Amino acid sequence: MPYEWIKDSPPQTREVHLWPYRSLPRRGMAWFIAVTAALLALPALVLVGSPVLWGLLPFLLGTVWAIWAGLQRSYKDGAIIEVLHIARDAMHLTRHSPNGRKQEWTANPHWVNVALHPAGGPVPNYLTLRGNGREVELGAFLTSAERQTLDHELRRALRDAQEISQ
Amino acid sequence: MADAAIHGDHHDERGFFTRWFMSTNHKDIGIIYLFTSGFVGLLSVIFTVYMRLELMEPGVQYMCAEGLRFAADSAAECTPNGHFWNSAVTAHGILMMFFVVIPALFGGFGNYFMPLQIGAPDMAFPRMNNLSFWLYVAGTSLAVASVFSPGGDDQLGTGVGWVLYPPLSTNEPGYALDLAIFAVHLSGASSILGAINMITTFLNMRAPGMTMHKVPLFAWSIFVTAWLILLALPVLAGAITMLLTDRNFGTTFFVPSGGGDPVLYQHILWFFGHPEVYIIVIPAFGIVSHVVATFARKPVFGYLPMVYAMVAIGVLGFVVWAHHMYTVGMSVTQQSYFMLATMVIAVPTGIKIFSWIATMWGGSISFETPMLFALGFIFLFTVGGVTGIVLSQAPVDRVYHDTYYVIAHFHYVMSLGAVFGIFAGIYFYIGKMSGRQYPEWAGKLHFWAMFIGANITFFPQHFLGRQGMPRRYIDYPEAFEYWNTISSYGAFLSFASFIFFIGIVFYTLLAGKKVTQNNYWNEHADTLEWTLPCPPPEHTFEQLPKQSDWDKGHAH
Repeated sequence: MPYEWIKDSPPQTREVHLWPYRSLPRRGMAWFIAVTAALLALPALVLVGSPVLWGLLPFLLGTVWAIWAGLQRSYKDGAIIEVLHIARDAMHLTRHSPNGRKQEWTANPHWVNVALHPAGGPVPNYLTLRGNGREVELGAFLTSAERQTLDHELRRALRDAQEISQ
Repeated sequence: MADAAIHGDHHDERGFFTRWFMSTNHKDIGIIYLFTSGFVGLLSVIFTVYMRLELMEPGVQYMCAEGLRFAADSAAECTPNGHFWNSAVTAHGILMMFFVVIPALFGGFGNYFMPLQIGAPDMAFPRMNNLSFWLYVAGTSLAVASVFSPGGDDQLGTGVGWVLYPPLSTNEPGYALDLAIFAVHLSGASSILGAINMITTFLNMRAPGMTMHKVPLFAWSIFVTAWLILLALPVLAGAITMLLTDRNFGTTFFVPSGGGDPVLYQHILWFFGHPEVYIIVIPAFGIVSHVVATFARKPVFGYLPMVYAMVAIGVLGFVVWAHHMYTVGMSVTQQSYFMLATMVIAVPTGIKIFSWIATMWGGSISFETPMLFALGFIFLFTVGGVTGIVLSQAPVDRVYHDTYYVIAHFHYVMSLGAVFGIFAGIYFYIGKMSGRQYPEWAGKLHFWAMFIGANITFFPQHFLGRQGMPRRYIDYPEAFEYWNTISSYGAFLSFASFIFFIGIVFYTLLAGKKVTQNNYWNEHADTLEWTLPCPPPEHTFEQLPKQSDWDKGHAH
């Protein structure tokens, strides 16, 4: 599930983290590179003791590095994380982009308007938050079903925040 | 902050040059791969037609030292030009192995359909994808340039054969061979970058819920191919780099006078070379699986065995290399090992063949052109596989080594097998890619001409091999004339069908019937590309696809 309500957030606050789906677990990446390296070692092992080994080795090592760098880069390209923190009198959204850019938005939850646009947005069930004179998107990278569930959960979380503040 | 964007549509305002030559879009790159490899394929086939023309009759009538001829002239004198023959063989081999089939299946269909089938918006590294394509084009240009550069025998072109064995390759003067080595280097770099791209896309960009055991078979076949490229091509790159330094910088990796070992080069080359034949054919397995399931109107039989058979073929492909070189003087134990390991490959291959048959069994089969080509693939690949088992026997190989039997064997698996896979894919998907459908009668005519032509070309070569006709010669004794003449007729028929195919493609693109449905075959073509319009819009799956679009609950 590419979003998660943080369980042990301080009392009377809620926090949700959102990130884009990546289909390869880190463990899977380790396995893939290990098997690839093991199979690439086969021709190198056969050539131990021959000068030809030195002609081959740079290419083999280069390949292992290249696939590692490729997968690593692909994780980095998807390293968007959105953190939404809801407290009684302020909600705060931070978005970390892969290029290191950090974007922020703060508003008072009492005045925030959560909107789910089933059509007309860049993605179906486009989820936006309006407050503090600005409308921002939330979880545009999730699946549309996930955004729908998130919409319900978010409205409930905001309602809870209202009750606490009374 | 990502401000909300409720409105926003952008129009494609790129010119022709920007769209096709600077493309980072996986679909556009797939299409230019297909066109380029088709063009290089034509070039490479023209070499073979000229060679078959020369082999039609004993004696040398066309490839004369006095100049190449296109009409036999018994009045004029003709000294055989063996070097030209050798460079034609070399050019055909290098082009076909590196610049035609892999770019078409892996670069073309892989780029276009693998991301679509897994629901990814594009490849993981779109600009690197463009780089792969242009490295391939540059490599092709070098390979063609090599034919026109000074080489051995004080003539143009290199004549050492595509395997570039030393000592022939370390001794040949001129720079034609160096250009050929650079060509293979660029092709290797292109393939490795392409493979990293495909692997990353496949592993990390599958739609949510699509576990490895739910990925469509074609996407799996591309992944296995990419992995084989990643494991095999660096070995080749290392080997030919050492060849290059042997030729130009006085190293002696493979030169016996300096303590090098030419046979070691053969080992390294075939450590790459045997996986290479699976790199060529495995994507065709993927295409054929989808075509057979679609036209038998049944889900593919034995999805998981099909997947693991591809993986097993890939892994086994790395431990059988020396069956290409039984005659270099290995111990009996070594030969027994390579013989047994080679025969084991028949098991996963058999799983695939029988699963395709089981898919068709009890199905409601219709024989549209893609299905005909898929059936042709299964038949021809099986014939080639059976002669492969014969050749894998080390003692029998003593007789068949370097004869036309070997030529017949590997053309059945690669030229007929893989190429029929390409044609099955083109007829299956041309409506999807272009939005226009080919005329069915023309596709059928192409199939029958090609099927009959290819069999007439290569089946008699088994007989020639059994009679003892060796490969790579411009001439032969009169006793071999009968089957050689028939084989040449077959080559002309196949060539005519290929020209006809080019006509079909251009007719379809310019005047074919417009396709209006997303899925113009039937509901058994059920992978994600069939949920898209024909042709698909420039950007696809920018929003993640729903699981119900691709998960039909069967076949896995």
